[in-house]
Amino acid sequence: MRILLVEDDPLLGDGIRAGLSLAGYAADWVRNGEQALAALASHQYDACVLDLGLPGKDGIAVLQEMRRRGDRSPVLVLTARDTQADKIGGLDAGADDYLTKPFDLAELQARIRALLRRAGGQAQPVLSHRDVTLDPASKRVTCAGQDVALSAREFALLQELMRHPQHIRSRSQLEESLYAWGEEAGSNTVEVYVHHLRKKLGADFIRTVRGLGYQLGEGR
Amino acid sequence: MRGAATIAKTAPSRLRSLRWRLLGAVCAAVLLLWLLTGWLSYTQAQHEAEELMDGNLAQTGRLLLAILHDNEDDLRELAGRLATVRGAADNIYEPPLEFQIGRGDGSILARSEAAPNLPVLGVAGYSDILRKDASWRVLNVASGDGRFRVQVAQSIDLRDRAALEVASQTVLPLAALSPVLILLIYLSVLRALRPLDRLAGEVAARSPDNLAALPDQDVPTEALPLVGAINRLFQRVTRTLDNERRFTADAAHELRTPLAALKVHTQVARLCREDAQRDHALQQIECGVDRATRLVEQLLRLARLDPLSALPAPGAVDLHALVEGAIDAVRQANPGASQHITHSLPADTPEVAGDADLLQIALRNLLDNALRYTPPQAAIEVTLEDDGDTLHLAVQDNGPGVAAETLARLGERFFRGGDSKVEGSGLGLAIVARIMALHGGRLTLTNRPQAGFRAALCGLRRAAAR
Repeated sequence: MRILLVEDDPLLGDGIRAGLSLAGYAADWVRNGEQALAALASHQYDACVLDLGLPGKDGIAVLQEMRRRGDRSPVLVLTARDTQADKIGGLDAGADDYLTKPFDLAELQARIRALLRRAGGQAQPVLSHRDVTLDPASKRVTCAGQDVALSAREFALLQELMRHPQHIRSRSQLEESLYAWGEEAGSNTVEVYVHHLRKKLGADFIRTVRGLGYQLGEGR
Repeated sequence: MRGAATIAKTAPSRLRSLRWRLLGAVCAAVLLLWLLTGWLSYTQAQHEAEELMDGNLAQTGRLLLAILHDNEDDLRELAGRLATVRGAADNIYEPPLEFQIGRGDGSILARSEAAPNLPVLGVAGYSDILRKDASWRVLNVASGDGRFRVQVAQSIDLRDRAALEVASQTVLPLAALSPVLILLIYLSVLRALRPLDRLAGEVAARSPDNLAALPDQDVPTEALPLVGAINRLFQRVTRTLDNERRFTADAAHELRTPLAALKVHTQVARLCREDAQRDHALQQIECGVDRATRLVEQLLRLARLDPLSALPAPGAVDLHALVEGAIDAVRQANPGASQHITHSLPADTPEVAGDADLLQIALRNLLDNALRYTPPQAAIEVTLEDDGDTLHLAVQDNGPGVAAETLARLGERFFRGGDSKVEGSGLGLAIVARIMALHGGRLTLTNRPQAGFRAALCGLRRAAAR
């Protein structure tokens, strides 16, 4: 899953990006409002983490512009201001959630999971398909009740597919959700990860749709 | 704002009420006018009554003189008859007339009963006889041949009573009408002060954070300056509050962001499994601590400068040495910087009055800023201008300059303009501005007409000649 991080502070931005990567997200980091709007226009992000105190075009302006364009991606606002008026202003401008600095990395990750869950229209925190379950919070995957060990990329790919079991995802879509800017994807990396997942979860768990991409296999 | 509410709550003293003062003054004026009118009418009426009655006396005297003849019996009879028609003491318009008729030698031929006992040979004409028991207005007339004398007299008390009567007829209706007048005055004052009451009510009913301007239509001309002043005050307070809010927001951002970064990197270091990533996180934590340390140092520096009202160690500062020292220090602190820092100060620069350490800090802050916000290879120059009166030490560069809206806010504490990739506390220029204020000068920040930015320590004074 791909997340846009908008944070002007080099130190904090670097930390959040590392934290998001640890949670298995591909995070693109931009430093100001203009870059954020450009990134949002060129990619479909699953969520956006937006600092309000940006130089130049501030976070609220970015948020308003984003919503005016009809972009409905969930937005979590980071702010150093903790007055009621600031929180209300942020939510009213179109934010889905907010966190006040300094915050806990675990809380940031949990809130992002909740935002993604809600945006995907699912109420259950744990994804499941056939006899496979995936818990985004604990990063646990089980198959027929047994824990399955997955690498971070494998986990991210599986999660991407399990969020919308009926959808066919193209190879490039999956690649985009796995890799942030500057992370080079090999020419057949998605195929490699799909191969690993099939070995661990069963050959028919992921179906290849010729010419289009991948889809989860139908329920047994 | 809370103070205004308490003032409105205390009961207004009548002495300080405009309404009561106005009413009191107008009523006192009316009363005074009324008394004055009474007194004037009285004296006027007295004067008129005197003239009228003097006329009466003269007429009566001459009439008596005309009917006199030698028959003494007739005279006695005349006296008796006159006594019956001489008027009544209780009618002031027909006062009793007293008379004496005598011969040219002074012997009395006839007299009225209550006539004053005066010699008929007195000086011809009017005279006032003032006695303890009664006062008289007396007229002596003599016949043309000098054989007869007639003396007529009238009581002065009665005359005065007549005058009083006339005067009171003028004044009493006025007095009777004065309550109506006072009521009318009261109502007019009430009506005239109503806009003021409305204004006061509106101000009192305001919530403390309502700083919108008061409406100035329907406000009496006299109160307009007050409303104007209040509105200007509201504007100033609004601006101050806005600045305060902005300051708090900026301060929160600058203080909390490094803490947030520290916390996030700490948690990343704990969570990650790869050594390289952990090392990076720890390195970042170190950077964050350094940054927080610098921030605290800047804050403390500002906190030490803020309460000062004068320079702690004033002296004569050699600008040439100051500039070379600052440039060296900045070069050493930023070994990687590729910008060219030069100065164009002549060797015989005059010394300025000031604190060498503080001026060094100010100049270093400006040079630091120039290094941070100019591209590599940019030229940074320290120049000195002398306007004859004061000296201006400037740091100018040929970098991109500063956007106009940023320029206006640059001196604000915790405000950081320009590229956020550049580290800083947002306090540097505030410190320089404070140092310059202590030197009686100021910090001016401008974009250069050609290109680039110029920060100047303006208004440095020459040191007193030794």
